[in-house]
Amino acid sequence: MPSRGVSALVSCVLAWLLPGAGHFYLGKRGRAMVFFLVVLATFFLGLLNDGHSYVADAQQPLTYLATLANLATGPLEFLSRRATYQRLVYRLPADENSPEALGLLKAMRNKVRSVADEYGTTYLLTAGLMNMLLILDAFDIAIGRKS
Amino acid sequence: MLRSHFLNMLTFSLLVSVFFAFLTQDDQKERLKVMAILFLSMVVLSLLIAYAMFPFPLNIPR
Repeated sequence: MPSRGVSALVSCVLAWLLPGAGHFYLGKRGRAMVFFLVVLATFFLGLLNDGHSYVADAQQPLTYLATLANLATGPLEFLSRRATYQRLVYRLPADENSPEALGLLKAMRNKVRSVADEYGTTYLLTAGLMNMLLILDAFDIAIGRKS
Repeated sequence: MLRSHFLNMLTFSLLVSVFFAFLTQDDQKERLKVMAILFLSMVVLSLLIAYAMFPFPLNIPR
């Protein structure tokens, strides 16, 4: 039975915009605070450890999934994307020898050279995946599938 | 920046175990139990895998 007075769409959008906000909207305030802190800590550890955001590359299909995981963090993700590429970019140009593609690859390699980049990137991806689960959990609570 | 591999592993395991404990459990006691099981599983399994890989050299001679 759906929860009264709440919208599944609103809870999902809020959950994407700010980790834990979907649960807060649904009245799960304690849980929302814990999710907010855990996802933010994971995300900022990723930034501190020089993690990089992914751009979708047609030559490497798995980068689409990684980019989606990054995007699931919500607007916070703009911070890590700007820290990696100095602008918001989500797709590597088809021509990998174009100046734009070379610039993006160079920016990513600068991050990869950092000793902690692999840890940082894992933290960033994990923050996104956690937030994806939070969006689905908020949906389940909103439609009454979960208490 | 956390330069210690071990500290990174502990931090990551703690964050993930807290997250899943709160996501899957409502009862406080159950949360603590799930948190402890997840945290210890991740840390102990990582150490076991690291120990199993120890005999293998990083640079394979050609």
